[in-house]
Formats: sequence, structure tokens, C-alpha cells
Amino acid sequence: MASLTSDTELPTPMLASQSIARRIFHRAVRSSAFRVGIVLFVILLLATTFYPELSGIDPTKMNVKARLLPPLFFGDNWSWAHPLGTDQIGRDMLVRTLVGLRYSFLIGVLSVVVTLLIGCAFGTVAGYFGGRIDAVIMRITDAQLSIPMIILAIAILGVSRPTIPAIVIVLGLSNWPVYARIMRSVMMTERQQEYVRAAKVSGANDASIILTLLLPLLLPPVLFTSILDIARMMIFESILGFLGLGVQPPTPTFGNIIADGRKYLMNAWWIATMPGLFLGLTLTSINLVGSALETARNAIHEGKS
Amino acid sequence: MTAPLLDVRNLSVGIGSTGRLILDDVSLSLKPREIVGLVGTSGAGKTVLSKALVNWLAPPLVRRAGEVVFEGQDIFSLGEREMRETRRKVAYVGANPQGALDPTLPVGRQIVEKLRATVPGTSLLNAETAAIELLEAVRIPSARQRFADYPSQFSGGMMQRALIVDALITNPTLLVADNVTQPLDVTVAAQVIRLMKELTEKFETAILFISSSLAVAREASARMLVLDEGRIVEDRPTEDLIARPDHGYTRDLVAETPKIWTTHFTPPPAADDTVLSLRDVSQVYKVKRRTGFGGFDELRAVHNVTFDVRRGDSFAIVGESGCGKSTLMRLLSRLEQPVSGEVICMGEDIAKLKGQRLLEFRRRLQLVLQDPFGSLPPRTAIGAMLEKPLRVHGWRDRAQIRERVETVMVEVGLDPNLYGELPLGLSAGQRQRINVARALVLKPEILIMDETLSSLDQSEQFKLLDLFARLQRDHGLTYIFISHDLAMVRKVCNRVAVMYLGEVFELANNERLFFDPGHPYTMALLSAMPTLEPRRYRPEDCLMEGEPPSPINLPKGCSFRSRCPRAVDRCAERPPHLTTRGQRDFAACHLVVDPAPPAKAALPA
Amino acid sequence: MFVMNFLIRRLAQGVVIIFLVSLLIFTLLRVVPGDPVRMMAGGMAPDALIEQIAKDMGLRDPILVQFGRYAAGVVQGDLGQSFVRPANGAATGGATFNDSSRGERAEVFDLVVDALPMTLQLAALALAFALAFSGLVGIAGGLAPGRWPNKLAFYISSIFISLPNFWLGIVLTLLLSVKLGWLPAIGYNGFGYTILPAIILAVELSPVLIRTLTSSIAAQMGASYVAVGAVRGLSRSRIIANHVLRNASVPLLNLLGIQFSGLLGGVVIVEYIFDYPGLGLLTINAVLQRDFPLIQGIAIVTSAIFVLINILVDLAATSIDPRLEY
Repeated sequence: MASLTSDTELPTPMLASQSIARRIFHRAVRSSAFRVGIVLFVILLLATTFYPELSGIDPTKMNVKARLLPPLFFGDNWSWAHPLGTDQIGRDMLVRTLVGLRYSFLIGVLSVVVTLLIGCAFGTVAGYFGGRIDAVIMRITDAQLSIPMIILAIAILGVSRPTIPAIVIVLGLSNWPVYARIMRSVMMTERQQEYVRAAKVSGANDASIILTLLLPLLLPPVLFTSILDIARMMIFESILGFLGLGVQPPTPTFGNIIADGRKYLMNAWWIATMPGLFLGLTLTSINLVGSALETARNAIHEGKS
Repeated sequence: MTAPLLDVRNLSVGIGSTGRLILDDVSLSLKPREIVGLVGTSGAGKTVLSKALVNWLAPPLVRRAGEVVFEGQDIFSLGEREMRETRRKVAYVGANPQGALDPTLPVGRQIVEKLRATVPGTSLLNAETAAIELLEAVRIPSARQRFADYPSQFSGGMMQRALIVDALITNPTLLVADNVTQPLDVTVAAQVIRLMKELTEKFETAILFISSSLAVAREASARMLVLDEGRIVEDRPTEDLIARPDHGYTRDLVAETPKIWTTHFTPPPAADDTVLSLRDVSQVYKVKRRTGFGGFDELRAVHNVTFDVRRGDSFAIVGESGCGKSTLMRLLSRLEQPVSGEVICMGEDIAKLKGQRLLEFRRRLQLVLQDPFGSLPPRTAIGAMLEKPLRVHGWRDRAQIRERVETVMVEVGLDPNLYGELPLGLSAGQRQRINVARALVLKPEILIMDETLSSLDQSEQFKLLDLFARLQRDHGLTYIFISHDLAMVRKVCNRVAVMYLGEVFELANNERLFFDPGHPYTMALLSAMPTLEPRRYRPEDCLMEGEPPSPINLPKGCSFRSRCPRAVDRCAERPPHLTTRGQRDFAACHLVVDPAPPAKAALPA
Repeated sequence: MFVMNFLIRRLAQGVVIIFLVSLLIFTLLRVVPGDPVRMMAGGMAPDALIEQIAKDMGLRDPILVQFGRYAAGVVQGDLGQSFVRPANGAATGGATFNDSSRGERAEVFDLVVDALPMTLQLAALALAFALAFSGLVGIAGGLAPGRWPNKLAFYISSIFISLPNFWLGIVLTLLLSVKLGWLPAIGYNGFGYTILPAIILAVELSPVLIRTLTSSIAAQMGASYVAVGAVRGLSRSRIIANHVLRNASVPLLNLLGIQFSGLLGGVVIVEYIFDYPGLGLLTINAVLQRDFPLIQGIAIVTSAIFVLINILVDLAATSIDPRLEY
């Protein structure tokens, strides 16, 4: 947009008694989506933290006598001991699902951390300094964005051994260009602010301007956005598991449980569908929280209080 | 007695569900073909009134009482469709020309769209012809081609002209002009006002001309309304109002309007040592070429600028937008390095400074910036903000730092209790004081004021100017004011450089520049200054229609010649150089002749 | 003239991108552990034979030499030959190690060209579904900020984005195909087999489209030309139809360009689940069989398509909004 002279007579107050990050957070908390999401998420988090240990059920323990039990209230041989039923060799679906959720969440968070570290570092450098270094970094992000990240991930994991660190690094590496771009664009606008100029004139060097002035301001909103990516990464983790390229059995993950269950779809539909429902619920809760934050961020950046 | 065209009766407008009124019992009327000015400070409710007149009150604004009767009908009683039909007779032009049209469609097409939407039955061909004719009438050069150009290809002044076309194309009987000249440079604004008066006469349109500047509104209108805190406090013929303001608020308004011609400037005692000098400084930016096979065009931002600033000077660099004064500021403060030429400070070219010497230069020369909001980091306490430069410059003792910061805060008129506070709740004036303090904390010798006052209102400006004067006396500071505000310059600066398209056109002492300008552009600039005093120069004589050429691919010769009423053949052939006019005054014009050493009357007619 | 200039410059940039992509993939495939020759020749093959085959195929040369050789081929339109697939018939995985003579291997180019139209058909249908659905939900949501259509758009997109595509594929197959028998699902035997996979992809694509549409329309409705337009005498419906939708389509177009690689990622999974014979299935099999030339070929082709699509998108966006730089 060209010149944005405000058409009200009152000068638009760019001030508020709180930092941008805090205002975003407060605005988001007021939305129902955020509240629904956070409640759902806390319940799931508590369940996955405590239920597997408290129930004392081993997710890998077979029990031939309790094979293919359906979930609660379905069919006629369901049991309270196995609320989500059991699989083809009698392992408890609920515990397996919750343990899978642990791995999924862990990998999701860690890979977003990797992404953020790499992406924000490159984006900051490209946006702050501009010029040739910016052009080089942007061409690399272009190149990487042109390969679908899932193809990249399966290509690497398919030919090497999928361990948890490998999965985290591959997922993290495949998404950094997105953050490099976000960071670059906010950095580019912010570095032209007058207070940055004032700091330069007072003699401060680039590193101290970036680290003490700019990053503390610019990072928190980006972190909010990254919550959505935790959900995305969890999906990718489960896709990898589904293709057999994720954490290897016997460790249960959403992906490998669903892949297993697919073979029994006709006579035990719950094996494939129930974990997916759980994953979907978890992702919905994360996405509601993340989107509420993002909506709040957009609203605040557009100047609504 | 003719029936009024517009009759506003006891109009009150409030905000949302609060009891606060923005407009409080406003009544006014306009006769057909009458031009009436409306002035008031920001916040007085001018824009809300102008919106109410065109039935554009959007939430949270709510009409509480009263009516706006236009041609015998209350517009608030009209249905959506009827209102739309009325809009062809009530036109509106606002203060944001660039935002008024869809940026993705050609300007001409949108004017045609409006004409055909409000006057059903207009054929496309007729609409296009009408639009092109009017675009020519507002003196948009090569109107036929400009018809197909997009809003982003229009400069502010051209866009405002196009919007006047858009407003007048339906032959309205009333035009509400809300601060139309506010975003424009003075020379362009003067032209737009002249044009508007001329056209509305032809179209027999009445105008309500709203402005925050009494001097600007006076140019346009014969009768004047004054709005103060939502109430109309005066309604009188313009000249009468200015000569004998009744209401206290009007008196302030008249008193605060700066004077140029009826004041006297006493230059400070001249010192002879130079603290900063520029030698043929040039800066060129590369801009991506939009046509042809990529590559870059060269934008001449600053061209061969040479001048000296002496100790104790208040040196002004003035010019309109795009003249290169901001680039010059960046070059002076070594935020950028020139492509050629030198900026000499402490006897050294500042481009060559490194390490400790650079830090020493930074200490000596400090910058006070323009935007009171953008120039302070939003999440830093005021004390910490002021401490930062000291720490960068090697101060370590906490008690000493604190003491220095508090001293400076007191000096600029800030309460030292604000030390631990964030700058969030502070007014623009207070924030600018923090800015000044941040620059002063290092005990500099030179302060560059980059449009420091332009975002403040008049009374706040006066206070800060007093502060600057005191600081200058106490610390022997040298000021460089970068400004577009000639009235401020007239008041405080002893030496003035006038810039146009990157070049210094004139360099002179205060009195000489204002009363005996050596360059036609300086005269044009002075003539366009709105004041309440009798004019010294008439804009009609000093400036041709048109806008400055693009700084990319400048034409040969003098860059002002396309707008210069005194241009001669020589001006097209080669650019003029700064020529001395005696008494250390210079102008870059072929019409200036170096006076023979003793003779003083050798100036050309 | 402008268009030609733009095309030439963007195509040149595209070549750089494709070069970087192939270098990236080529290097990655060679530095990660896992020996393709072992896969080809079978686990029982003696080490000496494997070394021999590897040497014959040039796999023991320095990576840059290998890449140079490969790139020289690519420039002439030769994407090499599959390690695993015979020229006729399906992949065998290479259980026997004696048929390693390279002449019978399938050309990567042919494999890709055979699979590509199937995938394009799937992607086009998915895009059509997604655009129709998101257009409806997103425009309504954008025009009613704070009211129910907006909330509906928000929740729909939050839920859709939370559905893992492979799981949704299984569930919908179970429901629509197995239980209700409405749509055919596994394999490909006519156009009907494209519908269900396309729906899954559309569900995956919609959330971002809805979000973008909602927010860009809401933003446009707040732009000053909308308010001023009303004062100028234009009706609300005219402003929306002629100006708001036009302006709001630019971010949507840009998004489509970026989302392309996301779409391809989805295609891989969906084709795998539905056993749909397109590029995605080819990719998965190539990875599982460590068929390096095929993986490289697919990466080059997809990045070329990506580049082309983005050029088209930018061309379209600039023709709508002339302020965007070529």
C-alpha cells in the first residue's frame, strides 16, 4: 500500500500498555477457540503423561486371549479394561495410542525447535543485512521450497535408518525456509525503524542491535505462529510412521498403529480409526490454540487494539 | 434570499455507547456556489463533521441528534438507493488520495465506473470522453495516457487532481473537501487549491473547505467557520475573522499561525571555525528497472553538495519531498557513505573513520529523529534507553551513568521519576524530549534535527524550540535542521540551504534568503507558503504548472527549468553551478551574475 | 515485451533452482547410508560382484564427477535409467542379481511421463473441489467478520487441518466405499477412481485457502477505497464484485503457487493409500527400492513444474495488480 494517512483526526496510538506479544496473547485468550483448544490439550496432555504408567499396562504386551476387542459400547465383547479395544495380538489400544502421542508430540516440538533455530538465524541475517547474502539465502529457500518436504523426508529416511534424532533433524530441516522467509520480512521492515537508526548513530554495532533490540521484539510473534507447525510436524511424523519410515516398532506411534490396523480394517475397524481420532483431537486442540494466536496477531498487526 | 443548498441543524455525533460527543449541536448552512472554510485543530471534530455531511458515519460514530438537510431533504432519512442517487450531487475529496481508489485498476476506468454508476444511462464512450476532458481541465499532462495509468503511478498531487475530477464529473452541487492539501508539498498544494477554486466556479459547485491550517483555508474561502471541541465557535467573513478574532480559541489560532514577513531575525554572533563541511558530496541509488531487460537505473539522490557549517550555526536544509534532504541526513550522520565527495569533520573524511575515531565522531554528532513513536524502542525503559549510548561509549560506573542520565532528563524537561518507566503513555512532545535527551547524553557538539518538530502541534513546537535555544546557549551546540517548514526555519535558523532534486539551489543567510532570494525556486517555495500576512510573492508569478521531473534519467540542464517561469534557452543546455552573490550567499541559477567585487547593485532584473 | 523479459528472467532463475534441487538431492542420496547396489543385486550377492557393478555404474567416482555426468545427461533430456525397474513390466525389487545388464532397465523419463498425467488429473480435480468449497466458505467468512460465517470458516479450517490425510483416506474408504459403496477406491479403473482421492486432497488443501481468503477479504473490506467507494456512490455489491474480490484474489494466487509442493506431498500419500498409479506412488516405490535415478528424476520434474506454476501464478498476479514487481 502506498501512503497510509489515517483518515481519522486522532493520531493512531501505536502505544498500549503492553508488549505486542502480551497483547496478542491476551486477545487470543479471550476467544472461545483458544479456550476450547487449551482445555482439550491439557486433558490430552495429562492423559498421555499419566495414564500409561498409572494403568500399568505395557503397550507392547501381547494378550492372545483379549484379541480384537472392540472399543466401549461397540459390539458385544467390549470391556472396561480396554476402553479403545485391543489389536490383533491383544495389545491395549488406549495405552498404545497415548504412548504414540508422546512420541508424536516430542518429535513435533523438537523438530519445530530445529526449524526455528535454523530458519530464524538465516532469516535474520538475510533480512537485516540484505544485499548479496540475502539473495543467496533466498535462492536456497526457493530451491528447497520447490521440493515437497514430505518427498525430501521420505527420500532421506528411506535410504538411511529412521531413528528419533534423524526424524527430528529431517523434519526440522525440511521446513526452515518458511521461517527464514517470515523472519526475513519482519526483519526487513523493522530494521528501517528510526530507533534502529538511533542505535546505529549512538555507535552500537549490528550484533548488539540484532540481539538486544530486534530479536526480543520480533521473535515472540513468530513463536506463536510456530505452534501451528507443531501440529503440522506431528502429521508428518505420523505419515512417516505410516510409511514405515518413522520410529520403528515395537514402539507404538500413530503412524505404525494405523498402518497395522489397515490390514484388519474389515473385521477390526477401530485399530486404524481410533488412534487417528486421537491424533485428530490433539491436532485440533493445538490448531485452535495456534490459529487463535495467529488471528490475534493479524488483528493486532492491522492496528486493532 | 436563496434557499440554502446545505443546512445542518443541531447535529450531534457521539462515540459508541459512551456519552462523549464529537460534534455538539453543530449548525451551519451553505448557499449554492458558496465556498466556506472550516478550521480547527486536530481532534476538534472536523473530519467527523465532513463525514457526517456525506452520510458516512460508520461505527463507533453515531448520530445523536439533528439533521443534515441537503437540497431540502434530510440525508439521514434517505434509503440506501436514494442516498446513492444523492451522491452524484454531493461529492467528497479526502486527505488520503492514494487510498481512495482500487489500486489494481486504472484511474480512468474507475472514474468512468463512478460516473456510470451514479448517472445511469451514460454510455461508456460518453463517460470516457467526459473523464478525459476533465483530466485535461485539471492540467494532468497527457491526460489520454494517464487515463489508463494505475493509482500507484500517480504522485500525490496528480492523484488529488484525479480525485477532483472524480468528484466533479457528476456535476455535483456540493463538494466537501476534507484536508485535501494536507499530504501535499506546499508548491503542489497551492496549485491544487487554485485549481479547485477555478473549477468549482465553472461547475457552479459549492465547497466546504476543511483544513487544520487557518492560512490554507483562507486561501480558499471567503467565509470561515471555526470548530472547537465539536462546537462551531465562529462563523464570519474570513478577513474580518482574521483581523478581529472574537473567540479565545480563534485568537490562539491566529496568534499561533507562524509569521514570515513581519518578523525580524537577529543572527547569533558569528563564529569562524567550521565544524562540518561537505565537499561535492553525491549519492546515487540503484533502483530496479521495471522495463527492458532488468538491470538498474540510477536515482540521483544527492548531487555535488558543498557547504560549511560553522560552530554555533543553526543551519537549515529545506526542500520538498524527494529533494534529497533525508539522504543528506544519512550521509552527514554516516548511516550511509556517499558515492563521491567527502564529509569532513574533525579534519577528517568521516568515511575513513574506524574504531575509536568513529566512536568519537558518533559522540560529537548526534541525531534527533522525526517520528516520536518509531524512534523509541517500544519495550525499553526510558532510563535504559538513555543509558545505552553511554555504555556503548565505554561508560561503566553505574552511579555515574545514572547521574548523567538524570542530569540530561532534567535539562530537557523530563521528570527523572520516569527513569524506570516505559515510554508508552507519553505524548508526542514528551517522546521527542526523550529523543533529544538520548542525543544529548553523550555531550555532542552537533545535533542534526531530522524533521524533529513536524509531528508536533504548534504550541508544543514553540516549547521545544525554546528548549533548543536554551541548550544551544548553554552548551554551544551547532544545529542542523532538516525541514520542509519554512516558517520554523525563518524563526530559528541563521543559515539556509534550499534543495531541489538532490542539488543545493541556494545557500544564504536568513534575511537575504527570505527577502532577496537568488533562485526562482526559492521564490516559488516562498510564494506558496500559506501565511496570514500580506504576501510578498504571488504564486501565480513564481511557479509554472507541473511537478518535479523524476530523479531517474533527469533531463539535461537545470532540473527546475520545466517549472521555472524565468527559464531561458541556456537553462536547457547546461546545469547552473552555485554562484556567489556576495556576502557568502550563493545560488545555482544562470540568471545570477557574480557581482563585481565592490558593486552591490549588479543583480539581474 | 515486458512479458517476454519477465519470462526469460524467471526461466533463468528457474534453471538455477532446478540445478540447486538436483544437486541437493543428488548429494543427499549419496551421503546418507544405504547402498543401492546391495538393494539391486540382492542381499545374497558377493561383495566383489557388488563392487564390480558399482564401479561399472560409476558409483565409486567422486560425487561431483558423478553429478557432472548426470547433469550432462539431464541437459540432453536424459534422466538416466532406473536401477530397479525393467523396461517392461512392474518393479521387481531385484531379488535376482544376474540381470544387471543396464540395457533392459526402464528409462526414468518414460516412467515419469507415464505417471504424470494421472497425477495432474488428480491434482486438477482436487484443486477444483478445494477452490469451490473454500471459495464458498471463505468469502462468506471474510464478508462477515465476527459473525457466524466467520466462526464457521475458522472452525472448519481448524478441524480440516487437523485431519491426517492417510487416516482420512482410510476412514472415507471404509465409509463411502466399503460400507456405502458410493465411490470406487483402490487402484485405477476409470475416472471415478479419481474422485475419492481428490476429496481427501481437497480437504487437506482447503484450510489454508479458507484462512487466506477470509483474512484477505476482511482486510480488503477495511481498505479505504471500500469506504470511499461508498461515498463516491458505488453500491456495496459492486464494490465487492468489482474491487474486493479482485484485490483479494492476489494473495490467494500467491498461496496456490506456494501450496503446490504441499499438494504434491499430499499426492504422494494419497496415491500410496489408494494405490493410484501416479507420480506419488512412483516416488514412494522409488524411495523404498532406493532407486536413486528415479528419485532424482522425479525431484527434477517436480521442481520444474513448481517453477513453471509459480511463473504462471506471478504472471496472473501481476496482471491483476500492476504494482507487483515482475
